[in-house]
Amino acid sequence: MEGIITIISQVVFWGLYAGCIYILLATGLNLIFGVMKIVNFAHGEFLMLGTYITFSFFVLSGFNPYVLLCASLPILVVVGIITERLCFRPILGTGKLNEIFVSLGIIYVFQNVVAMLWTDEWKTIQSPYKDITISWGSVQVPLDYFIIIGITICILIGLYLFLHRTSLGRAIRATSQNRKGAMLMGINVEQMDMLTFGIGAGLAGAAGTLWAVSGQVFNPYMGSIPAIKGFAIIIIGGLGSIAGAIVGGLIIGLAENFTSFTLGGAWKDAVSFIILIIVLIVKPTGLFGGKDE
Amino acid sequence: MLQVRSLNVSYSALQVLWDINIDIQKGEIVTLVGSNGAGKTTLVSSILGFTKASSGNILFKGKEIQGEPPYDIVREGLSLVPEKRELFSRMTVLENLTLGAYFRKDESSTDEIFHLFPALKEAKDRNAGLLSGGQQQMLAIARCLMSKPEMIILDEPSLGLSPKFVHNVLEAVKSLNDEGLTILLVEQNVRRALEISDRGYVLENGQIVKSGSAEMFLEDDAIKEAYLGI
Ligand SMILES: Nc1ncnc2c1ncn2[C@@H]1O[C@H](COP(=O)(O)OP(=O)(O)OP(=O)(O)O)[C@@H](O)[C@H]1O
Ligand SMILES: [Mg+2]
Repeated sequence: MEGIITIISQVVFWGLYAGCIYILLATGLNLIFGVMKIVNFAHGEFLMLGTYITFSFFVLSGFNPYVLLCASLPILVVVGIITERLCFRPILGTGKLNEIFVSLGIIYVFQNVVAMLWTDEWKTIQSPYKDITISWGSVQVPLDYFIIIGITICILIGLYLFLHRTSLGRAIRATSQNRKGAMLMGINVEQMDMLTFGIGAGLAGAAGTLWAVSGQVFNPYMGSIPAIKGFAIIIIGGLGSIAGAIVGGLIIGLAENFTSFTLGGAWKDAVSFIILIIVLIVKPTGLFGGKDE
Repeated sequence: MLQVRSLNVSYSALQVLWDINIDIQKGEIVTLVGSNGAGKTTLVSSILGFTKASSGNILFKGKEIQGEPPYDIVREGLSLVPEKRELFSRMTVLENLTLGAYFRKDESSTDEIFHLFPALKEAKDRNAGLLSGGQQQMLAIARCLMSKPEMIILDEPSLGLSPKFVHNVLEAVKSLNDEGLTILLVEQNVRRALEISDRGYVLENGQIVKSGSAEMFLEDDAIKEAYLGI
């Protein structure tokens, strides 16, 4: 009995930790969708860039990789802003097909530039705390999991405070709820698009650092699977809903790790989509969606 | 204050407004009359920059605003209470009002507004989407006033309201004008609107077919027949 509880707790921690990465990705996707009504199919590439920025600074500086969040997040904010301005602004409102092709273009550009600079071999870095574990009852949990979960919570709280307590954050929410109404408030909605895209990319960049720090491998093409799961999560949670992204991310994180533990690793990626299909059958607008979008 | 000169507006191939000329002086309240589909909403959304004009000029305080984005026009002091209100329905009344003063650095206070619309004060922590139709209209007007505009355009402010609320809204509009706000009013309750107005324009099939003083409109047989139901 003791043994089972230990294993279950371990799987839960794994799930929470994996969920953190998904939550950061899905929250960014949802912010962008809310404000611009576009799905950024190239979102996984921002995650990938985040891992490589962390990798490069780590190799060059030897800093604690967690500190490198202070590099990956702001750099990706800037990359996001530039990407929005150059690639998405010109096609906004011209149809879904354009968004898809622009996204595909961005995906290939980022993948190939990264492959050119760093080659396309798998890379990995190690956390300085990799051998430290903390006892949680009878379970030994790696310290890194606690740090990653803690950082994600801090980022989400920071984001919440920004969106709800600052004038700029309120303007972003206003643009997301009613673009025309926002313009009537004198809000420059194109600037809000750029800023939101930047924030979304920044969150993906932070997820990239957490991905790398946790010792997972990465290469220039690693972004697509996590991104696809991010899309599944925003559909499960409800398009545009940040609460939905958080709950959806946790569900997927936990479900994946329970299935790979019980049914084997081959089912890990499939379970996200099984959950997605079930949610779509039961509540087509997603768990938190369809209020008045 | 506002001049519209030879304005033509089309939705793709369909021309909706033809050679519109309008002149509104500072401090005036003017009613725009027209049947359903005449193009009233199209006209006000072109003035605010939401719908692009194919030709013509729009001058506000003597400055060309045609072609500017709506958020810049609003910042210059011309605002709109749109037909569909466009509230932030998942934000509280207070947040909606705060956003109204978004671009004012002096943090316009809500005290004045609550004095003008006491019902909003009681509901200030409720989500805008949960308010009654009348309260939503009050909020839309109040939010618009938070930016301290010099001129506002109201697109059918009494649409869907009970007669009591219609009276309240038009009273509020009148008192705003008394305080010096320039107002262009689009209204289905033509008689009530004309009673508080200085002048009127009639828009038919996308063209201004008549203009004159409100008294003259109230006496005009053709207008009586078409819009006053007499
Ligand atoms: N977005 C649009 N695309 C194409 N045609 C439109 C659009 N909006 C309005 N129209 C057409 O333009 C004409 C004028 O519409 P508009 O909404 O300006 O009239 P209105 O006078 O405001 O009517 P109402 O009294 O019903 O509000 C109508 O024939 C309408 O069908
Ligand atoms: Mg209309």
